[in-house]
Amino acid sequence: MKAHVAGLVFSYGTFKLKIDELVFPGSRVTAIVGPNGAGKSTLLKCLAGILPPERGGAFVDGRDLARLGGRERARLVGYVPQEPTYMFNYAVLDFVLTGRAAFIPRFSSPAALDVEAAREALQFVGLADLERRPFFELSSGERRLVLIARTLAQRPSILLLDEPTTFLDPRHETEVMALIRRLAVERAATVIVTLHALDMAMKFADSMVFMKAGAVVAAGPPDDILDEALLRSVYDVDIGIVDVAGRRVLVR
Amino acid sequence: MSGSRNRTRTTAITVVAIVLPLLLFVLSLNLGTYRIPPKDVLPILTRAVFSGGGGESSPAADVLIRIRLPRLLLALFAGAALAVSGASLQALFRNPLVFEFSLGISYGAAFGAALSLVFLGAKVPAQAAAFVFAVVAVLAVLFVAGRAASQVVTILLSGVIVSALFQALLSLVEFFANPYALQALIFWLMGSLGQATWTDLAISLPLIGVGIAALIGLRWRLNVLSLGEDEARTLGVDVRREKVLVIVLAALTTAAATAVTGVISWIGLIVPHLVRMAVGPDNRKVIPLSAAFGASLLLLADDIARSAFAFEIPIGILTSVVGIPFFIVLLKRSGKVWL
Repeated sequence: MKAHVAGLVFSYGTFKLKIDELVFPGSRVTAIVGPNGAGKSTLLKCLAGILPPERGGAFVDGRDLARLGGRERARLVGYVPQEPTYMFNYAVLDFVLTGRAAFIPRFSSPAALDVEAAREALQFVGLADLERRPFFELSSGERRLVLIARTLAQRPSILLLDEPTTFLDPRHETEVMALIRRLAVERAATVIVTLHALDMAMKFADSMVFMKAGAVVAAGPPDDILDEALLRSVYDVDIGIVDVAGRRVLVR
Repeated sequence: MSGSRNRTRTTAITVVAIVLPLLLFVLSLNLGTYRIPPKDVLPILTRAVFSGGGGESSPAADVLIRIRLPRLLLALFAGAALAVSGASLQALFRNPLVFEFSLGISYGAAFGAALSLVFLGAKVPAQAAAFVFAVVAVLAVLFVAGRAASQVVTILLSGVIVSALFQALLSLVEFFANPYALQALIFWLMGSLGQATWTDLAISLPLIGVGIAALIGLRWRLNVLSLGEDEARTLGVDVRREKVLVIVLAALTTAAATAVTGVISWIGLIVPHLVRMAVGPDNRKVIPLSAAFGASLLLLADDIARSAFAFEIPIGILTSVVGIPFFIVLLKRSGKVWL
């Protein structure tokens, strides 16, 4: 499913997010990059329905997300937060089950069908063996995967991930990115992910969005838009691009 | 795998949770200064049920029907009410220290009872006044928190402020009270299950029952809400509405209980934690088990309060003096985070 943003305005204090037009192609991975404070997470939260836009909004297949009810939106759009701090140390399966909230009436508990969906999601991220383990006992990388599994149990068409690789070592970073790629390829999900690691974005994303100071500077496939001048203008630092065996590599 | 062992453990705890309150209830019927032989209990009860409360009256029937039975029922319901509300509020506010005190309910009820006992006399019963002001306190907390009520810190801060206000008002009433009214008030504040009549219970127990049943119905929803506002919202939960729903239910249940029992502290804090230590944080287990163990604990505490010594110890004091050290021992021995 295609998602797009039109005439979106959101302001918080002196910060203002303003995006006239931005399209996220269906069944593709789009990476949103840019310096700290560029508005990447804010944009993602507007898409997720956490922050209400002042004007304009986000649309999926022409439907305005802000006009959908909570349950309806949750079945369409899933959001994977940056590693949050939780109070209660739920078992992994119980945690993933919370992804089924949009399918379960208020005064009910998960049924066998929901448990099946949660197990299937854990299977997909490769953590089926850990379903009884308490969440706090997991490594940082495993927690990211469990957070993704919960959103998978929600079965959304659009997946939003807020910096899913921050603080991960290179191996886990690559694993999470490869999983994100599989979501678009195997599940036909429209994946929108904020990232700091430009090399990961270049390797795994179909499309990149460069943001700075609440606005979009450039958007499109990495090969089309990425050059030294763009990096210089977005990050205010010199980053070289060199060719190594047919691949473009960033050099600082 | 530890899964099957966990399941056996949970099954065992569930069996205990069902049997324990029933067993304690039956045993407590025989307990008290007026001894009623166990074999007489059932005939008296069946005769009372079939004659609709009237019928022939013997001292034993009088004690059992008019004094002991309402007291035991109140202990079960009030204990369950305090524990279930505590567990629900802790999950909702993602804060293990929250219980009915945090929403101003206890001091609101105390102030209401004080007004009635000191100034209004028999016109407005203490129970009714306590209930009204417990609800007023919760509404005041929600009002003070205002639009930011969805934020945990704001609502807890409002709770502290409103509690402080009602505490000050309570002191003011105490200051003006005559010695006799003051004595009655202090006795009420220490908590007692012995004052309850069938008339009080006819109002209080249904309210408590409905509140507990609804909170048990919401038990899995509390898992989702306990992840925090933003996440619950992205998972499809109408956070604002469900938050108010849980607060209203918890307030209703505790206010209905506190109005008849007086201030009984710590049940709402200790029981949910004991349950979490035993079965983990999943509210699908924590909420119903809190009801069962809260009921059992308060019944047991009341048995001790009324029969351990020649005189009756106020139950509010007993739950604090016995409950807190017990809790500290468990805290030290568990040696890890159980939330």
